[in-house]
Amino acid sequence: MRPGRLLRTSSFRLALIYAAITGASFLVLFGVIFWSTARFMRHQIDDSVANEIDEILADSQAGNAGGLEGVVRGLARHPSGFYYLLQSADGVVMAGNMPSMDARAGVREWDEGHGPAGRSQPSVRGRGLEMQGRYLFVGWSTQQLHEMEHMVVGSFVWGLGASIALALVGGFVAAGRLMRKIEAVSETSRNIVQGDLTRRVPVTAAGDEFDHLAGSINAMLNRIESLMSDLHQVTTDIAHDMRTPLTRLRQRLEGAQRSSTGAEELRGLLGRTIREIDDILGIFSAVLRIAQIESGARKPGFTAVDLSELLGTVAELYRPGADEKHQTFRAEVAPGLTVRGDRGLLMQLFANLTENAVRHSPPGAHIALHAAARAGAVEVSVADDGPGIPAAYRAKVLERFFRLERSRTTPGSGLGLSLANAVVKLHEAAMALADHEPGLEVTVTLPAAQPLAVRSRGDPQASPPVSPAGSG
Amino acid sequence: MRVLLIEDDTETGDYVLHALAEDGHEAAVVHNGREGLQLALGERWDLLIVDRMLPELDGIELVETVRRGGRSTAVLLLTTLGGVDDRVRGLNAGADDYLVKPFAMSELLARVAALGRRATFTPVQTSLRFADLEMDLLRRTVTRGGEQVELLPREFRLLEYLMKHAEQVVTRSMLLEHVWDVHFDPHTSVVETHISRLRGKIDRGNANPLIHTVRGSGYSLRAAR
Repeated sequence: MRPGRLLRTSSFRLALIYAAITGASFLVLFGVIFWSTARFMRHQIDDSVANEIDEILADSQAGNAGGLEGVVRGLARHPSGFYYLLQSADGVVMAGNMPSMDARAGVREWDEGHGPAGRSQPSVRGRGLEMQGRYLFVGWSTQQLHEMEHMVVGSFVWGLGASIALALVGGFVAAGRLMRKIEAVSETSRNIVQGDLTRRVPVTAAGDEFDHLAGSINAMLNRIESLMSDLHQVTTDIAHDMRTPLTRLRQRLEGAQRSSTGAEELRGLLGRTIREIDDILGIFSAVLRIAQIESGARKPGFTAVDLSELLGTVAELYRPGADEKHQTFRAEVAPGLTVRGDRGLLMQLFANLTENAVRHSPPGAHIALHAAARAGAVEVSVADDGPGIPAAYRAKVLERFFRLERSRTTPGSGLGLSLANAVVKLHEAAMALADHEPGLEVTVTLPAAQPLAVRSRGDPQASPPVSPAGSG
Repeated sequence: MRVLLIEDDTETGDYVLHALAEDGHEAAVVHNGREGLQLALGERWDLLIVDRMLPELDGIELVETVRRGGRSTAVLLLTTLGGVDDRVRGLNAGADDYLVKPFAMSELLARVAALGRRATFTPVQTSLRFADLEMDLLRRTVTRGGEQVELLPREFRLLEYLMKHAEQVVTRSMLLEHVWDVHFDPHTSVVETHISRLRGKIDRGNANPLIHTVRGSGYSLRAAR
């Protein structure tokens, strides 16, 4: 990994910002310590100086030989760290261990070489007093104070340097780590772009946010892969489903071309051919419809749909077909059921389910269409006592072109249930296929619309319930 | 009827044109939307047959523009395979009827005839009469030769539609759309069953049956010859 690239990473930039913040907080902390320590030490010096002055004055008044001048001279003779000066009104040194200076009362402080008395003066802090024309100054060396200040500044500079360096190194390391993790994701996606859809982003045991992200990406990839494989399957199935009838058509037309059949016979053959072509076009139409429904484009057109009326029509549509097969068709639809949705698609959904039941059940079978409100939802079921669907195939039958009879000889495109499933998904409903013992029971659970006619018994805010039939 | 067909596929266009001419209509065809719009607005037509997918100007936009131009010419929209939204969008744009491609020619001709009738149709009718059959739309009663006929609501709507399109061919899908509000092929014999029940109530025992089956096309209400 090139350092240049590392420097451009957002995590490194973040590290720089952290370093700057660390430095700034260091500076504030230092300022506070520096200022309060220096203040404390000056205070101490001032206290000692004040005590010394008090003692000097007390001693001089206690009738000491030589008075004030004697006391100061005595003290100055034995160096104790204090600086003393007693000078007359005209600036002549009377006693002490300092050169003369301008007679100014109050606290005075100067740095080495910058004193009022010239270059050779050490750094001192003290207090001056004017007493009947004379001037007394007592001071203490600020050497220690300055040493302490230097020490604090020094350790601050080192500390600051070290912490910034640590922040930078940390940033570098963190950026590198992030880069490696991101690189893993990029590499996976590059591989996928190049066609290897089986690749997945590595997930570590750490369980950090990157593993979380990797998990999400992998879930997405799984979904894409399954969609791709569905697509592949559908394409193959369409090709297969088209080839068989087209081959049959071709043979028939070729046969007609070769033999010298009569006009009437030819007309009949053309009629059959047109019907078969219509079936093929019907398959295309169904595939396109499913694709359109799955795109969800129709959702904005949802309105309140009177499901009771709709199911009444469905029952009316299929009762004649059931009667022809001597099947018993029973419809029990509660009045006033309302859902939000697309009336045309819902009609097609229940029509497909009912048509399946009628078509796949043998003569004499019993078919029941049942609809009722149930805790914030509307449950519609279509049940028959026909051959049913083995449990292993119940998920499969929702796939496009899947048919139980692999021979593909019975009519039907194998798209009816996939279309139904697409409509169910568009309406955020649930569809469950269960064993009706014997036969098949398909249950569709739709979220109920805000009721128009009947008062809902359940909580209208409740989320759509999981289909009670389960995977059965 | 003067019919303008706007259809980009020349083969389909010529085929439909030929069939319309055979059926006694005076028809013209154009192959793109812009030309179609100019011609639709420039001349007087009884019916426009507009393909949904057209080069240069989309069929639905064309219909909208014609309607904005104040023309009430009848419009039949030809929609595509699997066009889930086309029906609603087309009717919203101002089309009077729609037909999904591919269609049987008999279906197209039946719808063209039905749309031609539309223009002369008085909108407010309280009763319908055909031969000795009478329908009171307000009291929902039907009499044949003065004798009361009891009909179920669906049978009533079926007969109403047949009477409004008397002497015309009415196809199975037209009945499904207008009587049942079903816009797909439900693969059932529901229409046949209801027609046969209606026949039983109206024509049974009568020397002049009114409901006739038109082979390969649909049904027609007409007086016996």
